[in-house]
Amino acid sequence: MERQIINKKKRVFSVEPNKIPPSEVFRRKYTSHLVPALKKLNMNKNSPQINQLSVKHEVDMALALSAQEFSWSRFLLQKLSSSNNPTTTSSSSNGIRIQERSGKEGGGDEDGETEEKLRELQKLLPGGEEMNVEEMLSEIGNYIKCLELQTIALKSIVQDTT
Amino acid sequence: MLEGLVYPESLSLSYADMSVPERLKGMQQHQQIEVLSQSSNDSPELLQILQFHGSNNDELLQSTFSHFQMLESGFGTKYNMDFGPSHEAMDGCISRTSSCQIDPADTMGVMLKNSVESRAISLKNKRKSEVKTREEEKTDKKIKVEAETESNINNKEASSDTSKETSKGDSEIQKLDYIHVRARRGQATDRHSLAERARREKISKKMKYLQDLVPGCNTITGKAGVLDEIINYVQSLKRQVEFLSMKLAVLNPELELAVEDLSVNQFQAYFTNFPVVIASKPSVMVDLPLFPLDQQGSLDLSVINPNQTSIDAVKFINLKTSLIILSSCYLSGK
Repeated sequence: MERQIINKKKRVFSVEPNKIPPSEVFRRKYTSHLVPALKKLNMNKNSPQINQLSVKHEVDMALALSAQEFSWSRFLLQKLSSSNNPTTTSSSSNGIRIQERSGKEGGGDEDGETEEKLRELQKLLPGGEEMNVEEMLSEIGNYIKCLELQTIALKSIVQDTT
Repeated sequence: MLEGLVYPESLSLSYADMSVPERLKGMQQHQQIEVLSQSSNDSPELLQILQFHGSNNDELLQSTFSHFQMLESGFGTKYNMDFGPSHEAMDGCISRTSSCQIDPADTMGVMLKNSVESRAISLKNKRKSEVKTREEEKTDKKIKVEAETESNINNKEASSDTSKETSKGDSEIQKLDYIHVRARRGQATDRHSLAERARREKISKKMKYLQDLVPGCNTITGKAGVLDEIINYVQSLKRQVEFLSMKLAVLNPELELAVEDLSVNQFQAYFTNFPVVIASKPSVMVDLPLFPLDQQGSLDLSVINPNQTSIDAVKFINLKTSLIILSSCYLSGK
């Protein structure tokens, strides 16, 4: 009975296996990465207080792992694996910024203003600063989608426990 | 070159007498001849064409056009002196194609129509280019769109040839060796500016896609505003994620317990019945909407309205998380 259940695990998830909508795929991957990681975190940490940064780390890691077809996820993964020490990253969005660029003023130019905004956008996207503008714009599109899905997944997990 | 200027005067005799289409044709030929005469010094074949200027032959027009294309690049700054907008008209109208030979009749026909209209119009208005610029651009755009990909490819192919085509370059006339690209009226025809334009259009396409993606961006016009909205949206999403992860960090110790309590019932029920009716939370597997994939293959989740589907998602994910936890428990338990 147990074996059957375990074997059926993958199958049961979809009514028609070939028609899994991509959002579901992402969500499944995401939660399947995050929840065990959190559990593991829970078990490993002997201190009663769970480090927020490590949770954040896990959250980002789960995001990167569930969206591996996009180039920003590779950047994110690289970042996370390189900065494994959770105490180094302090501020909230620091993990995402790769470089701080000195603020270049657009000089009131229309083009300059747009460029400045594009640069801001690049900062928000992991790895954005190393892409050219066109690539960055398409990556931003799917980054936004994945962020949306991530928030939905997190909300549901949080709601589940309250 | 002065000869060229003198020439048209002699032809403009019975202007008022001619009917409109005839007048148009006459004007075209006018212009062609003006152009041709300027460069007639260099190539003797053109003199032949000049002899035929009186006829209203379509073939003539075609041949003059082909020669036009050939010579068009060489004109450059020569034109700017006297012909101003008419030069622009010609620049704007002339379609460059990739073949080195004379174009086949059908493409020529299309080109003819557009350039005929536009040139006639420009001449009619006594060189007021502003009025008809838009119309021309519209017609040009249609063909440009088709020719754009071609021209993009061609632009890359032509290196040494087109480098000489810039207006700053020599006014040498080169024979039949050009990559022809359609340019819009009033815009430069350098290779660089064309490439720039193509790039800009790609970027604006992507901006439109992003506009659809970010809620509330449809009403905003202008790149800067849309970019602002996008930046704000991404930042707010990130803040949400942070906030939720903080919450999760606080709740984490309870996570395991809560999930495991609910999961047992759900787990069993899930496998036995389909659709599953669970005491606390009903299964909604069947109700989940299908999200279409974008043509480009990226996630097209514009159908999602996060607020609406989150409820369903929550229920589904509850099931799922419980399943995962349980299955991992099973696996680890052995």
